[in-house]
Amino acid sequence: MVKHEDLKAEAKKLLESGTIKYLIAYERNARDGKAIPVFIKKPEEVDKITWDPTCFHNLVRFVVDEKRRKARQKNPDTRPVGVVVKGCDSRALVILLQEKFIDRKDVRIIGVSCETTGVIDERKLAKKLKGQKAKNIEFGPDENFVVTTEEGTVNLPASEIMADRCLECIAPIPVISDVLFGEKTKRSTPHPFGSVDKIETLSFEDRWKFWSEQLEKCVRCYGCRSVCPMCYCDECVADTITFAVTPDTTADEKALKIKWLDKSPVISENIFYHMVRAIHLAGRCIDCGECERACPVNIPLRMLNKKLEKEAKLLFGYDVGFDPDKPALISCFRDEDPGDFIR
Amino acid sequence: MTEEFEPKIVAFLCKWCSSAGSDLAGVSRMEYPANVIPIQVMCSGSVSPLYIFEAFNRGADGVLVSGCHPGDCHYIKGNMYARRKLLLVKKLLEHLGLEPQRFQMSWVSAAEGQKYTQVIKELVKELKPLGPQTKLRREHHG
Repeated sequence: MVKHEDLKAEAKKLLESGTIKYLIAYERNARDGKAIPVFIKKPEEVDKITWDPTCFHNLVRFVVDEKRRKARQKNPDTRPVGVVVKGCDSRALVILLQEKFIDRKDVRIIGVSCETTGVIDERKLAKKLKGQKAKNIEFGPDENFVVTTEEGTVNLPASEIMADRCLECIAPIPVISDVLFGEKTKRSTPHPFGSVDKIETLSFEDRWKFWSEQLEKCVRCYGCRSVCPMCYCDECVADTITFAVTPDTTADEKALKIKWLDKSPVISENIFYHMVRAIHLAGRCIDCGECERACPVNIPLRMLNKKLEKEAKLLFGYDVGFDPDKPALISCFRDEDPGDFIR
Repeated sequence: MTEEFEPKIVAFLCKWCSSAGSDLAGVSRMEYPANVIPIQVMCSGSVSPLYIFEAFNRGADGVLVSGCHPGDCHYIKGNMYARRKLLLVKKLLEHLGLEPQRFQMSWVSAAEGQKYTQVIKELVKELKPLGPQTKLRREHHG
């Protein structure tokens, strides 16, 4: 079990010695008892830090933001930032390192092991509690979560309220870290791609029916893009406002910029957007499930990304996010890659 | 009056092999269906997944990407990258429910005019029974 005291002591040590600029961690939101991201800048603030089953956010997104912020500063503070990562989040860092977006010396990684459980799914928990508000959620013994509500304390089996991605997790221990808290437990994942297996049994027509119903709901808020640590392109094909415009950009250039897809949230354009996102995340998505959590209309976005993760594994033997020295999925090939689909 | 459905196929042909192959089919006066809209690209590896999505979005009934045979790429290994990248695209399209026949790849060398006509003939034959592609098509242009 990860002890809060250990995390706090490590944070205090790093901040007092000035090794890190600040620490990105979790704190408990007093209003609903769930974790929220927090930036700890002073050693006195370390008591805020928490670690519980509601720490579902992927804090690596803030490392991406930090790099942007640093690029804009004239005399940036070059010390690393500290970041608390779970197993999945650490793999997001591996991808950023692999793509040379960040440098290893820019981050001080504090790894926490999810051990045999994981983090909760808010929607599953809300369903389980039938309208009651959870005030506090803790890791309990024997793969249980201890949920405190106004009416008392209940022990809920982790498997019932855990996020789907945690049920399919193959690496609950951070892949890279400077310091690691929690036990290095092994777990068996009988169905690592369980969520896509269901769709694969459907016929093409039924698959289309499922996805068109789901993607029709999309309102194109781009929440999935904003929350994703891998979506760091300066220019995104999905909307023209991200195109870089400098004083040198001519009116012609602005007008002739290719508009791949329409901004209006109609089904054909929604599907286009989600296809582009899925293919751009192929071999990069580490299944932190943030897109699905951020989605205001509950589109099962993980199922798109997970499918390509599965194909990468099955067709090309590619494991996503384990080795920062490996080339990206589509910037390498093997001679024995399947080619039987080609005439 | 029942008019037979004629599928519209967008073909991305690599400049060095497949496009030359289609040229050979032309100058040799080989006959093949007129359903294909050829687009010459420098290499099959330069075909971005965006091109394929966009083709379907703008109303293509089928998309073909054709390049040099493995080992014959003008840029040494562009077609090998294409093979990996476009297989992922194919898998994604199928995952969303698009019929697998709608997106295909072929290797056609500059000497294979005959093979090019064969590929197009087969493609048209497979696409005819499927009817128009409406799933990914944009409803209102503009």
